[in-house]
Amino acid sequence: MTSVAAPGRARETDTAAPARPGRNRMSRKHREWLAAGLFILPDGLGLLLFVGIPMLLSIVLGFFQVSGFGSYEWVGFGNYERMFQDPMFWESMKITGIYVVVLVPVLFCVSLALGLLMKQRLPGTGFFRTALFLPYMISLAVVGLLWKFMLDDQVGVVNKSLHALGMDGESWLGEPALALGTVIAIMVWVMMGYYMIIFLAGLQEIPSEYYEAARIDGAGPWTQFRSITWPLLKPTSFFVLIMSTVAAMTGGLDLIFTMTQGGPANGTSLAIYYIYTQAFGFGEYGYASAMGSFLVLVMVLFSAVIFKVTGSGRFDDDR
Amino acid sequence: MLKDGKGAVPPPTRRRFLGAAAGAAAAAASTPLLSGCGGSAKADGKRLTFWNFYGPQKNPDPAVNAQAKWFTDLVAEWNATHEVKVDLVFVPTGDYTNGFKVPSAFATGSGPDIFLLSPGDFLRYSNGGVLQDLTPHLDDGVVEDYGDVLNSRMVDGKVYALPMEVEPLAMLYDVGAWEKAGLSEADIPTTWDQLLDTGDKLSTRTRAGFVVETNPGYLQNFMWYPWLWQGGGDVVDAGGTVVFDSKAARQALQLWGDAVRHGIMPRTLPAAGDVVSAFKTGNVGMWQMGIWQVSSFKAYAPKFKYGIFRLPVPPGGKYTTALGGWSFAANAKGGNPEQAAEFCGWALGRTDERCVDRMVQWCTGVKSDIAPRTSAVERGAEKGGYDFWAMKKFKDDIAPEGRAEPRFPPVVYKAVSDAVQGVMFADKGVDGAVTRAAESIEAFMKSYQGASLI
Repeated sequence: MTSVAAPGRARETDTAAPARPGRNRMSRKHREWLAAGLFILPDGLGLLLFVGIPMLLSIVLGFFQVSGFGSYEWVGFGNYERMFQDPMFWESMKITGIYVVVLVPVLFCVSLALGLLMKQRLPGTGFFRTALFLPYMISLAVVGLLWKFMLDDQVGVVNKSLHALGMDGESWLGEPALALGTVIAIMVWVMMGYYMIIFLAGLQEIPSEYYEAARIDGAGPWTQFRSITWPLLKPTSFFVLIMSTVAAMTGGLDLIFTMTQGGPANGTSLAIYYIYTQAFGFGEYGYASAMGSFLVLVMVLFSAVIFKVTGSGRFDDDR
Repeated sequence: MLKDGKGAVPPPTRRRFLGAAAGAAAAAASTPLLSGCGGSAKADGKRLTFWNFYGPQKNPDPAVNAQAKWFTDLVAEWNATHEVKVDLVFVPTGDYTNGFKVPSAFATGSGPDIFLLSPGDFLRYSNGGVLQDLTPHLDDGVVEDYGDVLNSRMVDGKVYALPMEVEPLAMLYDVGAWEKAGLSEADIPTTWDQLLDTGDKLSTRTRAGFVVETNPGYLQNFMWYPWLWQGGGDVVDAGGTVVFDSKAARQALQLWGDAVRHGIMPRTLPAAGDVVSAFKTGNVGMWQMGIWQVSSFKAYAPKFKYGIFRLPVPPGGKYTTALGGWSFAANAKGGNPEQAAEFCGWALGRTDERCVDRMVQWCTGVKSDIAPRTSAVERGAEKGGYDFWAMKKFKDDIAPEGRAEPRFPPVVYKAVSDAVQGVMFADKGVDGAVTRAAESIEAFMKSYQGASLI
């Protein structure tokens, strides 16, 4: 307690010290605030210019009918009414829901498992860490094209391998029931390396003494994971959960664009892809903005639920 | 020494650093804002931009370079003789046709002065009021020279886009695979039943019997329309009445659906859509494709033996095919619409030899297309542009009874696309798919205000 209180007192003393006359009338505390503000300013300006203002404009655009050629007509909530009556939009939201509900837990489990595996001091760990992270560094468009070739119905390496094993190949991107699962699997392959690194960082923060003490007490690997790793990894898990949920709800456009174009039979038409085609394919910028705003709202609500359920990832019991 | 001298630079302090950093950040942020308010060369109408997906570019493929050169030569010739200059802006094909660059530019009022326009996009641009009337910039007799090809680029008797090419669809087949399957020229299918039968004979585990476009989009619809038209069907008639709910639509959907269900037609494109590679590696028996593939075979597989035949017809049906192709268009809201339109007219709408030869060179020299003007087809034939057997086949047999690609707006396109995709891949019943599409198009037509869909 003393060690915590001491710096605070010291700061109070500093703040209370009179400013040197004629040089600086601001207190040290204010100077610190100013410095912090100035450091944040460039990033803040960037966020405001490239995220905040476009976001605001997009919300405003959702109340207009936009021709795509410079004419704007105020329609109030017309675009939102249209959205609620558009079966294709709700179909795309349903597909997005399935995509998120499957992708996020699978990605979480695979990344955590890889993180645990890569924490072990096994031969070649450095190579495998790099290899697993590599897909994340490749552009999603390139990933899409590569997998498209590998999943070719007739001569793709996946089906050829199945044929070699005496099994029938599948049309991985041509069957609506399979195509979404295929896209999810590829997305897991792309993202798992990134989240593995995040988990690895979290795992390495856990003091090894805890595990040593647990082993002395006779705890097995599962008990160690359940009683030490899992609780102390909560903040990292929370971060992964939030980030992967947001990425799942708003990402994947490049992959869908290059691999399926929303097909077959709208089977992979995620909401983000549907919104993109409405805006840039059909010139329905107002309608697309309304749907985009709605998607963001859903995402915020979804994130709020995750915050609530996980207690913002805190691992103490002071909620 | 310098440290204590008069001209010494004062040591950096945190305040100075922060002040300088803030100043630099403000300057960096304000530069694009200020430049955005400034004028540009375009604003005075002395320089026009021409967005296209051909050139200028340097490519390992000589055919692509030849197409790029045609564009750069065209612009160089214009610039040498006109006060208002044109600048070519190359946009890669994928970005041009499916990306956000072109629509974003028009939405923000900064669209190109001259651009390439597909039939599928025509009505959206026309209804948006961004197409400049090209009629006053055409020589007398040019409209007649173009003939029916121009119909889908006209509104109220005025020309709003000038076709640079005509691209008919036909069926391409692998002669080697054909012979291996015990088929001869006498087995070339002329009916839909024969097509399915032949496709079945050509199908193996690694070879698709009969391929059509599988990805949803304007291209797939473009490829499906001839099958609809052959049975006497259509989406909308000349009077604007929705006629999609018909026997012709049902049987055309059924054909593609049956072909997929029986494993004759693949669910995805072989070789990720690379037609020549798919044929060369023996993965395709027949593929519904356009005339543009003739130049691709010439460039990449000159020794590959392939054949071409007309699209087969249903019982009681009449042969036709779809004629695609891009056009030059001028932006009515650009910096100098009159000069942009003049450029389009000068490039493709003159009766002089230079203009006709230019079109011949594009369609038979650097590409493999049918020229959209009768005079250019005749000149091309005189110059031997259609002597090659495949070009001759397209010119004399495939194209003459063809029909221009429709210019349906997005809602109509999407309704048809959903019907095609649903029947092909989601086992949706033909009746339900046709009814849903027809209802969707009818609902749209009730509130549609714009140029005729036909």
